[in-house]
Amino acid sequence: MSNRKNHRLSRRTVLRGLGGATIALPLLDAMRSDTAYAGADSPKRLIIMYTPNGTVPVNFWPAGSGPDFELSPILTPLAAHKQDLLVIGGLDMLSSLKGPGDAHQKGTGGCLTGTPLLEGNFAGDGGQSAGWAGGISLDQAVANHLGKDTPFASLELGVAVQDPANVGARISYRGAGQPLPPENSPYAAYQRLFGDSIADPLAVERRAARRRAVLDAVNDEHRALRSRLGGEDREKLENHLSAVEEIRNRLDESVITFGGECQPLDQGELLDPNVVANMPFMGKLQIDLMAMAMACDITRVGTIMWTRSVANHVFSFVDPKITEGHHSIAHKGDEDAPKIAQNTAINAWYAEQLAYLITKLKAIPEGDGTVFDNTVILWTNEQAKGNNHSRFDMPYVLAGSAGGYFKTGRYLTRPDMPQVPHNKLLVSLLQAMGVETDSFGDPEFDTGPLSGLT
Amino acid sequence: MRELLPALIGLLAVAATSSLAGCQGNPSGQDADSAGDDEGLPGCEAIEPGPSPIRRLTRVEYNNTIYQLLGDSSQPANAFPPDEVAGSFDNQAAALVVSPLLAENYESAAEQLAITHAPGLMDQLPACAGGAPDPASCSADAEAFIRSFGKRAYRRPLTEDEVSAHIDLFITGTGLGESSYDPAVGVETVMQAMLQSPHFLYRVEFGAQDVAPSGEDIVPLTSYELASRLSYLLWNTMPDAALFEAADADELQTKAQIEAQARRMMDTPRAREAVKNFHRQWLGLGRIETHIAANGKSPEIYPDYGPYLLSLWRRETEAFIDDAVFEQDANVEVLFTANYTMMNKQLAFFYGVTGPTTDEFERVELDPSKYAGFLTHAGLLALYAMPDRSSPIHRGKFVREVLLCQSPPPPPDVIPKPPSVDDTQTTRDQFIEHAENPLCAGCHRLMDPLGFGFEHFDGIGRYRETEWGLAIDASGELLETDNDGPYNGVVELANKLATSEQVKSCVASQWFQFGYGRAPTSEDACSMQEIEADFADSDYDIKELVIALTLTDAFRYRHVNAAQEAP
Repeated sequence: MSNRKNHRLSRRTVLRGLGGATIALPLLDAMRSDTAYAGADSPKRLIIMYTPNGTVPVNFWPAGSGPDFELSPILTPLAAHKQDLLVIGGLDMLSSLKGPGDAHQKGTGGCLTGTPLLEGNFAGDGGQSAGWAGGISLDQAVANHLGKDTPFASLELGVAVQDPANVGARISYRGAGQPLPPENSPYAAYQRLFGDSIADPLAVERRAARRRAVLDAVNDEHRALRSRLGGEDREKLENHLSAVEEIRNRLDESVITFGGECQPLDQGELLDPNVVANMPFMGKLQIDLMAMAMACDITRVGTIMWTRSVANHVFSFVDPKITEGHHSIAHKGDEDAPKIAQNTAINAWYAEQLAYLITKLKAIPEGDGTVFDNTVILWTNEQAKGNNHSRFDMPYVLAGSAGGYFKTGRYLTRPDMPQVPHNKLLVSLLQAMGVETDSFGDPEFDTGPLSGLT
Repeated sequence: MRELLPALIGLLAVAATSSLAGCQGNPSGQDADSAGDDEGLPGCEAIEPGPSPIRRLTRVEYNNTIYQLLGDSSQPANAFPPDEVAGSFDNQAAALVVSPLLAENYESAAEQLAITHAPGLMDQLPACAGGAPDPASCSADAEAFIRSFGKRAYRRPLTEDEVSAHIDLFITGTGLGESSYDPAVGVETVMQAMLQSPHFLYRVEFGAQDVAPSGEDIVPLTSYELASRLSYLLWNTMPDAALFEAADADELQTKAQIEAQARRMMDTPRAREAVKNFHRQWLGLGRIETHIAANGKSPEIYPDYGPYLLSLWRRETEAFIDDAVFEQDANVEVLFTANYTMMNKQLAFFYGVTGPTTDEFERVELDPSKYAGFLTHAGLLALYAMPDRSSPIHRGKFVREVLLCQSPPPPPDVIPKPPSVDDTQTTRDQFIEHAENPLCAGCHRLMDPLGFGFEHFDGIGRYRETEWGLAIDASGELLETDNDGPYNGVVELANKLATSEQVKSCVASQWFQFGYGRAPTSEDACSMQEIEADFADSDYDIKELVIALTLTDAFRYRHVNAAQEAP
């Protein structure tokens, strides 16, 4: 693969020295050249895949336990990767049993933050309401740690995440009340990541010089205004300012060099990303893009949000007999065999998408192995069971060992504890990524990592 | 009952709706239209504006503002991430955030707009023309440009610090072009910065702080700030020349001055767009295209459905409300009960009526025994339906939540197996368990009996006499409202809703949220009462309700910003 490295020369310094736009191109190429990593360690990567509305537990959990387990109907599409899986039973999203909001809202906002929601005006079931999640999400905490070395600290992709844009449509948070929207369009996301790399280099460089001047002025104005505000207004400006600073800093690394496994993508025929029937195609494009972003080392942290909480997308592309929306089907009683079968098929389809992501990452060589060897993927949901909104025994799957950190090929059943907060899993993933912490999210669940994973 | 009460109480406390209606009359006999600043409701003598959070432009506001500012109709904000939606609206200050993705989008849009429009604006900098302009005279012209363009972009005159910072940026920019001195690039960089400035992207307010006596926490807004409040409320865009003139003369201070401007503005096409925007969001018309397109409709059951109908459906309801409010001067009751609608040729073909022969929407009279206002519009009925059938539950929930501003209690944690679908039964009969099973009935009695009224309309909103050849029962009952009782069919339901005080309070509270970008708080009780009183005095004229929004304490005053030291 082609690794993007920290520049030994600051591009900005060079530009200033040469008087901006008159810079000669060969020098840029020199700065962009690939060099090996200083050490043998390959970078670790975290990818999170979210699917909504709970699973069908009876068809999700494997038979057996430990290394001797048999994949369930929902997990069967992952058979080729069975030895790379850690199926984790017995975790409870306790933080989502607290605070404002309805079950779906709390489960979505809390799945990666491990916090209750803030107070707010997003309408939930039964007159309940809530605001955004109350803390930073797992992916962003990891991005804070790993993201400094890549142009994008993290990448948020979505597949048919429909409006309204509210707490049920966001899983990533830079902090309390600071959601990150997923990009539904693989075409727009591709332009965002690779646009500068496929454009005329001189034009890109000239534009970057103007952007620097402009963003410096914009930064000054934000700072001046921020100091005159208080309370939530001030926080709002603070967040906006840090976003501006982030894109300002990225200006020095916006061009990547194609080579090896890092290649431009052919995204084929342009289709509408918001049409449910296009989901299989859009999902594939988003996974391809996520894998390429990893291959090019544009980022090491990514989320793929499949639809949204309470999504009522009709999965007729999975089975033409499915004519009801996912959320409606998820609410059917356990005795409704045809609907349980349909919900199982929907969740198995999601497992198939996870399998495709794993396959893509395994196809990217890195060192003596592949990018997948240094990656861990978390498959999460906002609920365990759709028809009763249970958030006990959450259906968690890890895929990949994060460079040998996790011992995969196992099904872990509930530890000998009545309730196990899912914050433990979030802590374990942080530690796997090299973040030194023993707690994450709501301090009430300040319980260290999950034992038995490593 | 037991379960609904807390929800009702919560609603009344927050939105100051029906229970306050009884005590909100106008006992002093004061004329609500009087222009004096000293009138008021009893107990409301003290000025109390409630919160005034900083408001980020929505995508609609951004597009409109760019159009006003640059004459650019490219609608760049359509590429931005969707605005966060709280309550029913996309303009709620607390929910609107700026992610790095949006900040990037602001940057790209500003860049594109500057590149497109800077060349044309160079006429305003004559000293910068020619092959070798004199930098000093060119900068002087640039300063004039910065002051004039900046005033419109920031919606107030720039401070001297802001002017000099932008002159510096202009000079830097002139060195970033292909030639060694390129004034057009200087203008580009200035425009790029202004279009990413928080003073452009947000509606920043400090109030006329010098007016407040020392220690006073409540201040009137400056005339510039009020010009922006008026223009974004009534037009969803930046102030026009007349508002800037009024602000220059500091003539947006008294109620009379504000009301005169509001009435002028209400009488323009842009006010109609803003009223349309409200209804699009309140009723969910904006979701007709996205949500129905996402899941489609069953081609076997609805062979006449086609995606081409979606925008026509939305436009029917928009055109009807626009015509009723602005052409007929109809009050809010008429929106529920009118026996006419607006159709064009294609829509008339879909409905099977004759009349319209062009693409333009025109008035079509309807059978008053079958149709009633927007309630029987196909788009809403198809939105609140399934791909293969109607949905009394979704329609009833729509009436309960959107039109009555009430929320049914949450479903139980364990939901019993729902009735199985049976093609030999009507849709209504399939949901009989909702009434018979006490576990279901608790919630569904508040939704289903409101939704059954629409059963003469199928999953794509067309009138039907029978379903699968079976007789349709469209009788239902209003429960736990201010106008309870049985009804039969959507026309009777519409009449009960139209005469409900609760519905009118709901409309007023929704306008409050849309207009002020936030939910009412306890501090807003007097502003809310004032709005409701003016609305009632005008016999529930929507235009008067919007005017009333511009005359409250909440609109004219604010608390001072609690500034802190910069870290």
